[in-house]
Amino acid sequence: MNRDLDMKVNVLPVLTYGFLKVNDSAISESDIKIDSLTTPDAKKMPSGIDVKRGVSFKEAGEIFEKNKDRIMYTTGVPGAPNADTTSRNDGQAIMTGMGIDVDELMISVDAKCDIYTAQEGIKVSEPVIIEYKMNDNEGSISSQVIHAKKNSEITVILFYESEKESAGFHGISTRLLAEDGAKINLFKIQMLGDKFIHFDDIGGACFEGGSINVTSLELGSKKTWTGCLVNLVEKEAELNTNMGYLVRDDHFLDINYVADHRGKNTNAVIMAKGVLMDSATKVFRGTIDFKNGSAGSAGDEQEDTLMLSPDVINRSMPVILCQEEDVDGRHGATIGQLGEDLLFYMQTRGIDEDEAKRMMIRARLDSVARTIPDDELAQKAKYYIQNIV
Amino acid sequence: MSENKQAVVEIDRSAYEFKDIETEKDFYRIEEGLDEETVLKVSAEKNDPEWMRDHRLKCLKLYNEIEMPKWGPSIEGLDMNKICSYVRHKSEMKGKWEDVPEDIKNTFERLGIPQAERESLAGVGAQYDSELVYHNVKDEVAAQGVVYTDLESAMRSEYADMIKSHFMTLIPPTDHKFAALHGAVWSGGSFVYVPKGVKVDIPLQSYFRLNAAGAGQFEHTLIIVDEGADLHFIEGCSAPKYNVANLHAGAVELFVAKNARLRYSTIENWSKNMYNLNTKRALVEENGIMEWVSGSFGSHTGYLYPMTILKGDHSKMEFTGITFAGKGQNLDTGAKVVHQGVGTTSVINSKSISKDGGIGTYRSSVVIQNSAKKAKASVSCDSLMIDSISRADTIPGMDIRTNDADVGHEAKIGRISDDAIFYLMSRGISEEDAKAMIVSGFANPVSKELPLEYAVEMNNLIKLEMSGH
Amino acid sequence: MSEQSLLQVKNLSVSIDNELPILHKINLDIKPGETHVLMGPNGAGKSTLGYSLMGNPHYCVTEGNILFEGQDITDLSSDKRAKAGMFLSFQNPYEIPGISLSSFIRNSYHAQTGAPVKLMAFQKSLKAAMQVLSMDEAYADRDLNVGFSGGEKKKAEILQLLMLNPKLAILDETDSGLDVDAVRTVSKGIEEYQKKKDGALLIITHSTKILESLHVDYTHVLVKGNLVCTGDGSLVDEINANGFERFISEAE
Repeated sequence: MNRDLDMKVNVLPVLTYGFLKVNDSAISESDIKIDSLTTPDAKKMPSGIDVKRGVSFKEAGEIFEKNKDRIMYTTGVPGAPNADTTSRNDGQAIMTGMGIDVDELMISVDAKCDIYTAQEGIKVSEPVIIEYKMNDNEGSISSQVIHAKKNSEITVILFYESEKESAGFHGISTRLLAEDGAKINLFKIQMLGDKFIHFDDIGGACFEGGSINVTSLELGSKKTWTGCLVNLVEKEAELNTNMGYLVRDDHFLDINYVADHRGKNTNAVIMAKGVLMDSATKVFRGTIDFKNGSAGSAGDEQEDTLMLSPDVINRSMPVILCQEEDVDGRHGATIGQLGEDLLFYMQTRGIDEDEAKRMMIRARLDSVARTIPDDELAQKAKYYIQNIV
Repeated sequence: MSENKQAVVEIDRSAYEFKDIETEKDFYRIEEGLDEETVLKVSAEKNDPEWMRDHRLKCLKLYNEIEMPKWGPSIEGLDMNKICSYVRHKSEMKGKWEDVPEDIKNTFERLGIPQAERESLAGVGAQYDSELVYHNVKDEVAAQGVVYTDLESAMRSEYADMIKSHFMTLIPPTDHKFAALHGAVWSGGSFVYVPKGVKVDIPLQSYFRLNAAGAGQFEHTLIIVDEGADLHFIEGCSAPKYNVANLHAGAVELFVAKNARLRYSTIENWSKNMYNLNTKRALVEENGIMEWVSGSFGSHTGYLYPMTILKGDHSKMEFTGITFAGKGQNLDTGAKVVHQGVGTTSVINSKSISKDGGIGTYRSSVVIQNSAKKAKASVSCDSLMIDSISRADTIPGMDIRTNDADVGHEAKIGRISDDAIFYLMSRGISEEDAKAMIVSGFANPVSKELPLEYAVEMNNLIKLEMSGH
Repeated sequence: MSEQSLLQVKNLSVSIDNELPILHKINLDIKPGETHVLMGPNGAGKSTLGYSLMGNPHYCVTEGNILFEGQDITDLSSDKRAKAGMFLSFQNPYEIPGISLSSFIRNSYHAQTGAPVKLMAFQKSLKAAMQVLSMDEAYADRDLNVGFSGGEKKKAEILQLLMLNPKLAILDETDSGLDVDAVRTVSKGIEEYQKKKDGALLIITHSTKILESLHVDYTHVLVKGNLVCTGDGSLVDEINANGFERFISEAE
């Protein structure tokens, strides 16, 4: 490693009180370990999808640089939110949830990027499946660009796993471009070993009528940082994110999801549900940003956290920014333990407290796992969840 | 529309001119920071006891060390040197009625405030007869054993020890730069002590007190409600208050003992050149109840987040607030709560309205410590956007450290629906009135918590703000 | 017959948000004290006519005009129409949190008459009107329509009708979603209005339940945005027996 600083990641789009410790997070330089800089071969590669492998991170970003004015469209009406931090990411080809430090890391170590392209009008429902099978003490950094041209559709599953007790480092950056009427479905399933350090960064843009759907399951790793920022650039662009997490032992999960509404009638749903056990820590940042010009848009973020131990730490930062009159923005959070009424109901059916808890954990996570469009991987995830609970 | 814009340009200019009073240029050089000499002078003027003088000097050191906050609205427009020179030469800084901005004069007019009172509110006239009202109230509650006086004289009374053991313990000067500044130069403010079991029937209103003191810039409010006692305290008033220096860094420290209840209501309508960096905090013991009712209408820039520490088991907090951010305003408001005791409850209800390019930010934090088993917290914040050049941001934070807590949070941003306006108009109500009615209705959860005369004033204020002056 | 018209609708065509027209060249003439019924199958444009007469800004008059007491009101805003003496009872009245039903009516009354509202007298007549409608007095202090059931909302509309006393009341599907008892109560309110003054009515409905106890002067049938038939009160009975079939096939 030739970097001499820790990475500052998941910076909240607008800063708030320092004592809440949610304004950003840091990945310590000493945690970063790199043996490999490439994405493994796709295990399944449906026909109709083009792949260009081993492109430099910077070169792969050109497609975004070319469209930057279109992606970063603003009406020019002044008035940034208080303590706006977004300008720190100006140097990114496309803004991501974790921010510019990920780009700088990728570029400084010359990480390689694979570009998956769905050509205009081609809709491929069968998923591209990429599996990372990590060994103990192994470090990997890699990146992908998924580009769906006009009216196309592409589905990609990224799956990371290693032995339960293993340690190591796994970092990934996935950048997405859904052109007019195109659809990208991205699934990320993280089942890394209990001593792994992991980061997963996503950035993307949707043109008119395009949609990006991100489903993720964060199940393993000691420390995980994950971020996702999608620009809903033109009218009727859509973002749906659905995250399930299970954080246990002394593990740590740090999340930063952002929906930037720029076009008219754009739609975003950010969902996060999960379970915290033992002495786990989770930080959730979710931002819906209705920029001026996004009239008719709707954004909804919902968080549902089940806390199963008295020692967990749960921080939530659900932000709605709004500079447009005709929008519908909502946020809701339910944080707590299993409801007594529900527990009682289950007990009257002969289910004891522990079993009821297990059922509720599975119910939360299975609802995400079951959407994985590959039976084998969906089963694997379910099996993993079952083993833990 | 263009007429309105013109008016604002004029107001801005007049406010700017106001800052450059000739005499000031002639006599004072701009100096960096705040120096010991000034603080000692304030201390001497106030005839401080020794501990207070030392406290001021300690705060001064902190003030010069602590950085400006990194979050929140910009306070670049705040000229700190100006503030310091104001502290230094306060008595000479008397303005002229002609210099009071037109918008303020208009608001006085429209709210129907008598001329004598207008001049007092603008800080340019003789003190008006509120002093008399204050003394009457003071005598009335004194019969119940309630102490209601100014903090400075209380420091030299039999309550000296009580003040010393409470003063700036809730808001330590290390908290932030403006808390330190306050600690160094505070002057004026109220002291209220309600003895055990005493229920005060009439709300006490600082409005009278502050005017009587002729200040209200760095005032310190200290209220102690003893076991089983009950008090409603009202701060501020709906008429805009004009101040020569444009920084308000007051501090409010509230102590609510076991089984006691305190309601603290505020209607703030500082003139629109004001940087309002007020700090308010309450400590609530077992079974105590703290209720905040807060309406923020004035100021250029506002940082205001009344904080409650629910220390005692089963203590409760309820916050009901409304913020109206109009043209040129950046109001960052909300509430903070820390749950420490078992079975503690907090309810935060916030409403905000943004109009004419105003920035309204709801900011909050809910912290549930590991000890706060069976705690319940619920937050609900609604924002109303009146047009597309304004901002309504919602920045709530939660830090939950026990599983045995029940936390709910809801936020909504929206606008007045065209259909609702049509419905009201079909009953003969004009479009402007229809909008004002809907906004008043939106604000109703706050106004209904206020005493009638304040609620009426608040509704008038909303009407005024909605009509865009 | 020589009496002057209260409402005249001349060749009125209407579209929503400048898209395809929904109403085509409608003509109507309502004289003081008359009761007109506008019927037609779902989607015929009945509510659109009600909204257009009251000046909902979503509905755009593309042709023709509306005269009230001889004055052209086609371009007047809704509040001015209300002040002129028009009233529309909404099919789905809006919920306005924070404004009580009684203060809303008081505000409207004041806006229309410009006169100060005498509180005692107002409360007395409000109470009387609520009794006619068998409304619990507690509703007066509840937030306007918030948490009201369908029936309560409709009653609240008729309560406003009785209190505001317009020259012309347009009732949009006031009977929809009501049970038999509620329809009877609402009809009683409407009768009261007919009685009290020389008030004219335009009742928009697709059923005939509400008309049973009311005297009807004219019946109009609207199909696909066209007024296809006008008759007297007996037309209601015919529709009651045979439905709209005949008119629909005629329209085609």
